Order: sequence, then structure tokens, then C-alpha cells
Amino acid sequence: MNDPAPAPAGKVIPVVPVVEDALYEVRKRIYPRSVSGAFATWRWILVWFTQILFYGLCWLDWNGRQAVLFHLVERKFYIFGWVFWPQDVFFLALILIISAFALFLFTAVAGRLWCGYACPQTVYTEIFMWIEEKIEGDRSKRMKLDEQPMSARKFRIKATKQFAWIAFALWTGFTFVGYFTPVRELTQSIASWSLGPWETFWIFFYGFATYGNAGYMREQVCKYMCPYARFQGVMFDPDTLIITYDAERGDPRGARNKKLDYKSAGLGDCVDCGICVQVCPTGIDIRKGLQYECIGCAACIDACDQVMDKMNYPKGLIRYSTEHAIKEHWGKKEIIAHLMRPRTFIYTGILGIVVAGFIYGLTTRIPLRVDVIRDRASLAREVEDGKIENVFRLQVMNTAEETRRFALGVSGLSGIELGSDAVVEVPAATTKGVVVRVLAPGDAGKTGSNPIFFEIKAINHEEVFVREKTTFLLP
Amino acid sequence: MSSAEEAFHSMQRLIQVLWPSFIVAGLAEVAFFTLIDPQELYLLGEPVHFSTLATYSIGFFGFWAICITSSWATCFFQRRASEINGLPDGGEVSGDRQSGCA
Repeated sequence: MNDPAPAPAGKVIPVVPVVEDALYEVRKRIYPRSVSGAFATWRWILVWFTQILFYGLCWLDWNGRQAVLFHLVERKFYIFGWVFWPQDVFFLALILIISAFALFLFTAVAGRLWCGYACPQTVYTEIFMWIEEKIEGDRSKRMKLDEQPMSARKFRIKATKQFAWIAFALWTGFTFVGYFTPVRELTQSIASWSLGPWETFWIFFYGFATYGNAGYMREQVCKYMCPYARFQGVMFDPDTLIITYDAERGDPRGARNKKLDYKSAGLGDCVDCGICVQVCPTGIDIRKGLQYECIGCAACIDACDQVMDKMNYPKGLIRYSTEHAIKEHWGKKEIIAHLMRPRTFIYTGILGIVVAGFIYGLTTRIPLRVDVIRDRASLAREVEDGKIENVFRLQVMNTAEETRRFALGVSGLSGIELGSDAVVEVPAATTKGVVVRVLAPGDAGKTGSNPIFFEIKAINHEEVFVREKTTFLLP
Repeated sequence: MSSAEEAFHSMQRLIQVLWPSFIVAGLAEVAFFTLIDPQELYLLGEPVHFSTLATYSIGFFGFWAICITSSWATCFFQRRASEINGLPDGGEVSGDRQSGCA
């Protein structure tokens, strides 16, 4: 990103609001000035990290198939070595609970880290603004261009930007759909012009959402549409790290001559250059205090630090701090000491328990599931030697990614035995239905239903074992 | 209200109806199709013969339509007596409901 223009000391840059017709409300169009600095670097690292992950992961292979694929048609979620079936919805619920509590914890500790660095809305807005800046120029050039009447030059610039935006958005839509339909099949069907109607629709739908949200809606999504932005405040307390303007140090604000002693002139450290407002993607003035619009991107910290450097004042007039720390003049040590407080303990505790449960569940998960259904057509019938036969239908789900053979057994009544094949072979990650006849002597139990058990064991994999209860009818 | 402001308010209202219903429809879609296999659905007594992806998509838009109706009804019932009677508002700020949600 370009360096911001040097902050002119002693001169106030007017922040001219431009009113435009927005989708949601009459808003001042925000032309964020680009910024560089430690936090901007972090934001870009996170943009690269999340986007390499998003655009790249769908192309990664594992066990001869796509490594991460939420296969909607097969109704199976593949995540590296794991295959989740609809029956594993419990794990999905746990993942959601973990995500929620991780978000609560991060918010309680350091405010809106998610919003500022990792949220797709922030990341795509960052990318779209980068494209815009490369094509239309910096903040003042963009503002000038928008004021100009349409001309061949303006049209060319705007058309180039639209083309780049749309191409990027469509690629994003394609990648998104590639997580739900195998991405290589998707590529082939695009190449052979045989993409299904629904895949086409969702690629355009997601592409359009990306284009609209990152290109036009931008901060309005955070301000008016994001549920998290509305309730994040409840996780905050006076010890939460937030982006704060140190009013005690900065006020009274004002332009000054660099050569004079501003303190004797009754001024604080804030030169009132307005750059913190210009860089803000949501267009707020952080000097007015914590506002729900602040997404915690720290662009104003970077911008203000550069101004402080130019003025030879210490950095950190705007900084990450806590309400307590500002009031009590705490240093880093006290801030860190106040990380440990009931709120963070409770969030960490719940998070720890759920994560432990999740890991336990995942590691002890048996890659076999069996549903036993009684054959309703024939309840019980007498066969040779006075034995009674019941027929069951077994749905054997082999969730492992290799073909396995399973040995069937039955117990629960004396003399009970299988009247059909005792071995069933199930291909990798599939379900196979088998009809099983079970025989028992007529006097093996009481008249009516008797509890029995099916035991299904993977051959050569002793630990893959399932015992299912059902009932055997005796006349 | 100027006509420009009215246009903004209609847009705001439109998004207030469309957006929350979109979120809830997404949740309903996930919950419903996690529990129910689209291949096991019946439509007017006949097994559903659409492709799985088509069933999911139609399901989503069905949920969205239902949620839109609900959000719209919420907005509809928030209208004040003066608005229903068609009387001039007198420029009062309403205290009992969000402005622009009519």
C-alpha cells in the first residue's frame, strides 16, 4: 500500500463529507485513505493467510479426493482424514459452540479482533479497496474522479475497475461453490460448458454478494447488517483492550507551529490533522470515544503514530489500551495482569471443556454405524427343526475411507444364530443394506419380544466394534 | 419527508425485511437438511425427483419466502393509527416504534 501523504504540521486537512445515494441510508460516502504501519502489516498478513487458505484449500487432495469438501449431494463432509455423516451433527454443534466461545473470549480480551483482521467482510473490502486504489489512484484522486462529469477517461478507469472487481468476485463465487461440489468436476463442467443450472446460479449469487458487500456496502454491512456488531458490547468490560484515544494527553487539540512550545500554549498532543478519521473504514472519529461502529482495525493507530513521529512526539496517542488503564495510567504489566478476571476464566473454562469433549469424541469415534430395522412384512415364522425365524434389515455404514469386511454376530437368547451370511463387505465411506435371518429355538425365551444384540466387528480391526440392541419375537 | 428520503426509507425497510429473513432462512435450511435427506421427501404424494442440489436450493428459497412474509408482517403491524387512517402525521416523532418501519 502507498504511504500516506506526510501530515502537514500546523495545517488542518478538512474532512469534506460527500453525500451519495447509498443502499441503506443517506450516508456520507467514505473514501478511506490507505495506511501503512505495524497493524496494517498484520491486516495484510491476515488477508494473505485467509485468502490463500480459502482459494487454495479446495484444490488440495487427500486420500485421492478433495481434502476439504462439504459434499452436499452425497451428504458427507470430508475434512482431511475425517468423513462426517448427517448422523455426526453433534460434532457440527460442538464446532459452533467452540467458535462462539472463542469469539466471546477474544472479544473480552481484545475487542473486535475478528472484525478488524479476519472477518470476510473486512478482508474482501480490503482487497476491493486495494484494487480500487491501484486503478483509480489514492484518496484525493478517487474523490476528484467521482466529482468529474463522465468522460472517456473516467469511463475507461471505472470500466477497468468494474472488470477487475467482477472477475475477482466470480472467482470467489466459483471457489465457494467448489467447497460444496468437487472443485475439479466443477472446473471440467465449466470447461466443457456443461455447468449445472444450480451451480451456475450459486456461483453468480455468491459472486454478486461479494461484489456488492466489498465494493459498495462495505462498512454499512458492519454497521447495519452484522448481528455480532450489535451484541459485541456485552462481552466488553473496563479491562478489555480497545482502540482508544488518550484524551488526557491529546486534548485540547489544535494546529500548532512546530517551533513553539505547544504545552505553554495550552495545547495537548493532538494536532487535529484529521488523518485518524480519513483512514477509518467506517468513517468515525475515534477521539469521540468507543463507538459500536469501530471494527477494531487499528488503522487510526498506524496513522496517528506516523503523525506523532513527524512531530517528534511519543507514539501511542491512539493505542490499544483498556478503559481502566487509561484512567489509572497503567502500563503494559498491569494491563496483562488484568487479563485474568472472572469473565475470561469463565469463557476459557467453557471453551476448554467443549474443546476437550470435541477432541475426545473425535478420537474415540468408531468409523462404523449400524441401524437395525425389523422386517415388517414377516414378524416371526416357524422354520425347520421347530426354530423361529425373524428377519432384520441392517444398514451398515462404513465411515472409514477403505473397504472393510464386517463379521456379524447375534446374542441374547440361548441357541440364537444367524441363518444367513455372517460376513458383509462395505466399500469405503458408504452404506450397505443387508437382510439378515436370525434363528432361535421356539423355547429360547418368553412369548412376545425378547431383547437380543447384534454384534458387528470389522475383520482385522478389532477396535471397530458396534453392539446394537433389538428385539426378537417368539410366538 | 422529501421523496429522496422516502426512497431511502423504502430501501431501508426492504433490507430490514430481506436481510434478517435471509439469515434465519440459512439457519432453517441447515437445521432442516441436516436432519432430513432430500431424497426422502415427498411432494404431493410423489417422491421428490429433483436433483439434490435443486431440492436444497428450492428449500432455501422456500424458507426465505416464509421468513420474508414474517418480517414483512412485523413491519406491517408496526404502523400507527394515524398512518392507517391516512391522517397527516403532524411531523411528530413516534415514540412507540422505529421510524421508517411501516
